Parts: sequence; structure tokens; C-alpha cells
Amino acid sequence: MAIALHQLAIEAAGQRPEGEAVRCGNEALRWAELVLNSNGMAHALNGFGLKRGDRVAVFLTKSLRVPVAFYGVFAAGGALVPIDPKTPIDQAVRILRRTGARFLVSEVSRTSVVTSLLAACPEIKYVLGLNCDMPAGVNSAPWSTVDELASYSGPDLRIGSLDNSYIMHTSGSTGEPKLICHTHSSAIAFAEWSAREYGLTCDDRLSNHSSHHTCFATFDFYAAARAAAATVLLPPAAMMMPASLAELLERECITVWYSVPTALVQLLLQGNLAERNLNALRWVLFAGEVFPDKHLRALCAILDHARFSQVYGSTEVNVCTYYHLPANGAFPNPLPIGQPCAGDRALVVNETLDRVSCSEAGELLISGATVMTGYWGDPERNGRAFVSRSEPGGFEARWFRTGDQVKQDDDGNLIFAGRTDYQVKVRGFRVELEEIESALLSINSVREAVALAMNGEDGDAQLCAVIVCDPLVEITERDLRSNLQHTLPPYAIPSELHLASSLPRTPTGKIDRKALTLRYEQKTEEWNQSA
Amino acid sequence: MSDEANAIQTTILNFVCQELIAEDMSVAVDDDLLSGELLDSLAVLRLATFVDQEFSIGMQPTDFLIENFQTVAVLSAFVARCIETRS
Repeated sequence: MAIALHQLAIEAAGQRPEGEAVRCGNEALRWAELVLNSNGMAHALNGFGLKRGDRVAVFLTKSLRVPVAFYGVFAAGGALVPIDPKTPIDQAVRILRRTGARFLVSEVSRTSVVTSLLAACPEIKYVLGLNCDMPAGVNSAPWSTVDELASYSGPDLRIGSLDNSYIMHTSGSTGEPKLICHTHSSAIAFAEWSAREYGLTCDDRLSNHSSHHTCFATFDFYAAARAAAATVLLPPAAMMMPASLAELLERECITVWYSVPTALVQLLLQGNLAERNLNALRWVLFAGEVFPDKHLRALCAILDHARFSQVYGSTEVNVCTYYHLPANGAFPNPLPIGQPCAGDRALVVNETLDRVSCSEAGELLISGATVMTGYWGDPERNGRAFVSRSEPGGFEARWFRTGDQVKQDDDGNLIFAGRTDYQVKVRGFRVELEEIESALLSINSVREAVALAMNGEDGDAQLCAVIVCDPLVEITERDLRSNLQHTLPPYAIPSELHLASSLPRTPTGKIDRKALTLRYEQKTEEWNQSA
Repeated sequence: MSDEANAIQTTILNFVCQELIAEDMSVAVDDDLLSGELLDSLAVLRLATFVDQEFSIGMQPTDFLIENFQTVAVLSAFVARCIETRS
């Protein structure tokens, strides 16, 4: 196993120096160029005085600069703090302060935001990528420095597999973002396993759909590097225009796709996929939310030459389980999250953290190589997130609490049974929000549905649902209600059904439940945004 | 530019400025709407819905192309073409 993430790039450059490493629109970097430039970045950072373990915030829009900065930070011995370019400024300030980053990598197009960040974060002393005037005490260098210092040899450093590689932040849409800290080892455990499991080779071309600050990038970038394959960055414009995205997939001969189901549903419904030649596509991976069964089956039918794989896990564990859909379409509903990957172990426990019997549902605990070190600088949250359990032979294992409910099917596959916090009590009845959503989605004209539990009177939950219907079909709330009466018990039918034209998204493209809840609570906005 | 084309462009530009972007921001007809900096995907959907309803052009899934939506100018030209061919 490789020791550090930039080692994967160095080995890829040795194996295939002229091969494409990363493509973005009309521009591309070959593996040798990527290593050359990232070493330039590393020398620039070390020239600023970066020492092993120092945090480096990277605040860039999606472009070829992203992999240069990422590998450059690793090669310099730093811990990467990728910041979502869309993060509200107050949030970015909080992330910078809490990670104690003294180094910032950005670019000229973000000058005004960086200026505000510097004003609010006096801890930042070094800025790479900008050439404007800096506040007193702040050193800066333009991106051209990276080219000037480009070299085939990186800084002479000692970097270990247990050094921190990156600290990723969650969107924290209703509070403090969580700061999730991984080592080189925990990132590589997933990258190496997935490169092997999906049979990646240097002929593969992986899509990078999600924003580079999310854990999807671990596969898109580092698993690709392990195999010396290419990563194709999908520009924001293509993400907003599904028909253009489908065109891009064909043109770029994408062989492996990885995204949230929502992105695939958009491709299915608006991408005109039947008109495209996507024969190169051999694996479709998805994670992050439940894939509505009818859409998944429709997509499998259109992309009938590709294999599909559901991977499961939050940023805290990279990915911890996987399930390959049988090629003949004979997959169950709900779709299993499958078996532990990369040597991870899974344990299902009840509320008192005791192991449950095979058929019972309980919370999923994960232990193994892909699990994070912990939440950065947050001992209290770490105390809640991890449990120690003694094992026969006098051993003690550390387990991460996923907060997800699972059960096992007859084949020993794990089935996702809802978030622990999506289980609500309505008039004494236990209701799973996912069940309501799945009932809504089974109605033909319903494209998307979210069920929310609001705090009603007397501490009882009040159910409501937000629904996006096919715009070409006339459907009323009453139609939906009469449909639900066939599929849900009366107490599980939401008291309020709202028809909307679209739903808010998180940076990875998932439906943003927290934003919806907030919007509902504050009643500040119309449900139907286009009204 | 014909009066009709002008009117389409003004209507779309007004909607973008008044409904989709923050008050302290401005948009010109040639600004890139799809860079991710001005509009998010939700706003782009609202724009598509607005254009479809305002001009009754019967928007199809296949119309969701970068070359139809990239700027207010090209979107207006697309709407004008639709009005001509689909009426």
C-alpha cells in the first residue's frame, strides 16, 4: 500500500508520464505535468515556511489548479483543507479559524472574497495564487510561482501514512460545519480498494461530478491516480444542463461515473440518454441518498451495458460498504447497501450498544482502515461519535457510530433502514420518513419527494411532504392523498402536502433536507418557487 | 435586433435581475449564467420554468443545453427561434 496520496500521482507519472491525468474542458494535464506542477506548489508552500502537519486551505473553483494544489499540499507535508467555493463567507471564516490554517491557496477571480477572509482571519499569513496588495504581515505569491518552481523532485521531507492528509467540512446548513480529519492511510485504504474492486486501469476515464471539497473526490482523484487513469472534471454549466452533460459523457468517453442519485435522475429525465452513445461507460457508482427504485430501473434499462454499484458511507468513513447490482436487473427494493469494503468491519447494535440478532434492525457501527481519525479539535463530538468495545483475547476496537439504522437480509447484505434521526413518532406511532418518500415516489407523476417531520404541538411530530411532479401532468393534492391512502397507514400520511417546482440541493447535489426544514419553519419563502 | 427580440431579452434580463440574483449584484446580457458564480442549479430551473411559461414555448428535456442557456442573449435568441418554429 502506498504511504501518501501524492505518492499515487508520482507512481502514475512513472508508469504513464504522457497519459492524461486530469481534463477540464479544452485543457488537460498529463501525469508528468501534474507531478511537475504540484512539486512547484509544494516548493512554494515550503518556501513560505510550511511545516509538516500545517493546515493549508484551498479555495478554488473547479479547474486544473485543483489537483495541482491538492497534490502540492500533500507533497509539502501539509494537511489539506478544501473549502467549498460556494461556502458563505462567515462559514469559511469559521472553518479557517477552527483548523488554524495559516496558508491559503486561491486565485485572482476570488480576490474580493479572499480580501474579506483575510480581514476576518488574521491567522492567515501566506496566500498563494493572488497578486493584489495584501494586509500588513501577509506574504503572497502569484500562481506563476508554481510554474517557476516546477520540478521533478519534491521537497525533501519525511511524510508518514498516519500524517493528516485532509480535513473536509460538511455544509453545516443549520449550524457549525463538522471538520472531518483523515490520514493518508485512511484515504488510501479506500482509493486502493476501489481501484481494485472496479478494475480501474490506465484506459479508464472517471468523471468528477461533485465539488472537489467533498468525499466523492477521494474516488474521483485518488482511485484514478492509483490506476494512472484520467479524471474528467465536469464543469458547473454541464451540471445545470443535463442534455449537455450527456453529450459531454459521450464526447469524453467516460468509463466510470460516481455521483449522488439525484444527478443520475436528472440525466435520466432530461439528458436524452437514448440518443447518446455511452457504450464506453462500464461502471455507474452512486451514493449519498436513496435511489428511487423506478428511476434506477429505468436507468439500468437505458445503460444496459454498464454495471451499477451502490456504495455507502459518510465522509467520516470514506465509503464502508458496497453492493453491485446483478446484471440481469434482479435487484431487490429496497436496494441493499451490501457488504463492508476495504477490510472494514460492520456491527449492528441496539440503543444500549449491544449486538442485535441477524433479523433485527439497529444502528450500524464501522471499524477499519477507511475510518477518519476524528472530528478536528472537537473532543466532545468525538466522544459521541466513537465507541470502544472489548473483544475476545483482551483486544479493544474503536467503532464509528454511523447514526444509520440497518438490518440484514437473507443473503447477509446490509439494508439501509433510515437515519436514526429520521425515525419519528406521530401520535405514538413510529414512522420512517423514507417510507413516506418511497410511497410518494411510487406514484407515476411524482419525480421527487421529501418527507419532513416538524415539531408540532405537545412535542408530537407533524408530517409534511414537499413534492416535485412531472410538469406535463396535472395532479392535485387531493389526487396525491387518495393515492397515499392505498400505500400508507393513516397516521403516516403527511398532514401537509406541498407541490414545488424544484428542491434545494447540497453541494454534492443531494436534496437539502435541512434547508427545506428551515424554509418550512420560517415560512419565509413560497413553496412553489416559480410561482 | 427587432423590437420583438428586444422585448424578449428585456423580459428575461428583468427576471434574472429581480428574481434570481442578490440585490447588490448585476447581470449583463452577455454574462455567463452557468459558471456557478451567478446562479445555482435551483435558480437555473426557475429561469427555465419562467421562460417556458412566459413565452409558452413548450420546453423539452432536449432543450436543456449549455448553448441555449449560457447567457441572457443566447437564451433570448433560443426563445425567439422557438416562437418562430413551434407556434
